[in-house]
Amino acid sequence: MAALLNRRALLAAAGTGLLAWIGAPRALAGPGREAAFAAAYKDRDGRFGVALIARDGAIRARVALPDRGHDIACDRAARRAVAFARRPGYFAVVFDLNRRAEPVTLQAAPGRHFFGHGVFSPDGRLLYATENDFEAARGLIGVYDATDGFRRVGEFDTHGMDPHELLLMPDGRTLAVANGGIETHPDFGRAKLNLATMRPSLVFLDRIHGTLVETHRLAADLYQLSIRHMAVDGSGRCWFGCQYEGPRGDVPPLVGLARPGDAIRLLDLPGEAWAGFGNYVGSVACNPTADSVAVTSPRGNLLATFDAASGELVGRERLEEVCGLAAQAGGFFATAGTGAIRPANGKPEHVDLVWDNHVLRLDG
Amino acid sequence: MMRLLALALCLGLSQPAEGRAAPAPAAAITRAATDAVIRPGYARFRAASETLEKDVRALCEAPGPAQLETARAAFRDTALAWATIEMVGFGPVRAQNRLERILFWPDRRGTGLKQVQAILASEDDTATDAATLAQKSVAVQGLGALEYVLFGTGAATLAEADAFRCRYGAAIGTNLAKIAARISTAWAGDDGIAGHLAAPGPGNPLFRDESEAVGEVTDMLIHGLEQLRAVRLNGFLGETPDKDRPKRALLWRAGLTIATVKANLDGLRDLFDKAGFADHLAKEDRWIAASIRFEFAQADDALSALPARIADTLADPQAREKLAFVRVVSSSLSQLVGEHLTAAYGLTAGFSSLDGD
Repeated sequence: MAALLNRRALLAAAGTGLLAWIGAPRALAGPGREAAFAAAYKDRDGRFGVALIARDGAIRARVALPDRGHDIACDRAARRAVAFARRPGYFAVVFDLNRRAEPVTLQAAPGRHFFGHGVFSPDGRLLYATENDFEAARGLIGVYDATDGFRRVGEFDTHGMDPHELLLMPDGRTLAVANGGIETHPDFGRAKLNLATMRPSLVFLDRIHGTLVETHRLAADLYQLSIRHMAVDGSGRCWFGCQYEGPRGDVPPLVGLARPGDAIRLLDLPGEAWAGFGNYVGSVACNPTADSVAVTSPRGNLLATFDAASGELVGRERLEEVCGLAAQAGGFFATAGTGAIRPANGKPEHVDLVWDNHVLRLDG
Repeated sequence: MMRLLALALCLGLSQPAEGRAAPAPAAAITRAATDAVIRPGYARFRAASETLEKDVRALCEAPGPAQLETARAAFRDTALAWATIEMVGFGPVRAQNRLERILFWPDRRGTGLKQVQAILASEDDTATDAATLAQKSVAVQGLGALEYVLFGTGAATLAEADAFRCRYGAAIGTNLAKIAARISTAWAGDDGIAGHLAAPGPGNPLFRDESEAVGEVTDMLIHGLEQLRAVRLNGFLGETPDKDRPKRALLWRAGLTIATVKANLDGLRDLFDKAGFADHLAKEDRWIAASIRFEFAQADDALSALPARIADTLADPQAREKLAFVRVVSSSLSQLVGEHLTAAYGLTAGFSSLDGD
């Protein structure tokens, strides 16, 4: 039923021409004022979209979405981006960063929905999205041909349920996928159907052949620690952040590292280090030039920074409902569910939009 | 599944100065929720499950139609006692998968049902001892499994003699009674979860401040209403009658689908009333409480005269219409609680901290 409603909303939106740039056309670029980040939002009237944001936090442009968005993928060479619906979502909207064309909406394949994340191949020809084969509760990567109107050209297994974020590893060929392990079905909204038996994993897949390279799992007693978000550091290691579905009084580690060929591991910090995160990490970002990694917890109102080399916790910043996170010179650019935008080395400024969980850096 | 964050906890009062005593409404609401709703609710569930265990054992010892009916009645009482308290989504019920072990639902792919049928077919003796049963799949040791044992295909043999089926049912009864006793005991003292909820603070591992504590209590209402609509009703009640799936309704074999919906709403209304959510509203916000009560009464009225068998309710256009109306009412209630009540109390629902994104 949820599927039906969403499809209807989608068709209605498409029919009314809602999928378009908001505001009068104007040049996006200007010295130091070009859009550097993109993030999904909800506005004061409950409408959804993607905003393009300058380095200083100024909003440069907006694209309407038919429903709530989540993360965004970008083909930086072609200056083209794709915003994915929040799970369980049925649309993705392709838009041109230079505003040379009107946005185009893609619909999820029958029996599939998007989980909210995607990534382009290095040459920008293919788009990969995490998807759910919801009748079989099987995680998939959907493959789309960006040179042919984003036609869906294939799919392959993620070897786990609930694939959430996916990343392209530095070899340009390996995909890292966080299988959150939580079974959901659109008939039951966002209800979690298998908390007693969930099996999260982090897998590396070969995107050319669609095959499994390696599966990484945490210790068996951490089976309710859902691996959901990731970022790659300057040494090619995949940092991941978790959300814990077990009893609230438990304080498991929430951040770890994985790399093909190495054993997966969680950061070895004193237990109290994890106490302020509300057992929930919402985003992970790496800043290779600063050799640092940051994670956010909107439940703990916390932005925590780690030294990438040592894994030590080097900074804790309090920011209400902070979640969106991207590398920026000098640190990290962050957005919050309250509407705050906090550039690196800047102060939080509130805008009239509230931000979804992620920010994408558009320039590399 | 919204999660509340408190950005500016007003609770009808101005912010207290540093170090001052807590604002009265937050403490009053959490305390009343514990004393007037959660503790008695779990105590009732415990008592019902203990009776259930006893009645199923009595059926095994002396099978007969009257004993089977007594055991079935005890099952109904237990399922409804559970439905009135299942909105509590935190604390001891979340340890050791107790929530799922009490009731694994929805069993969307029928895995649990197949496991129960396999136990019955193979007469797996390890399922007749509560200790070994508790180690098995969560789907074979709770209310869903016992419903099949007592009301499912072949259950009539229990009235004559079906030693294995009955012993398996009794073990489920014992398992439920044990889990209920553990949860109830954990809530009874002031040193455990109840103490944490009553005394939030920086050193408290669960609730760092009052807004988190009262937010957890408010979440029970928000999440309970969403669960009722998105999972319980939408799971079987289609947008149109041709999309209905009566066999996906909760406890349809026992004819308890409507009764559990009603018990869910009773539990939520009780929480709203007895925790005193209406008592601390500013004058201009009192309409919210009146509207919430009106909606609960509307739902109760609509559910009052429906056929117990869910297939009968769905087959009767007028009855089905009433059930669909309850779904609409639950949406209104979600809006009243999730937007207006939380705003009146200075609690906001976190936009980017919804579960699992």
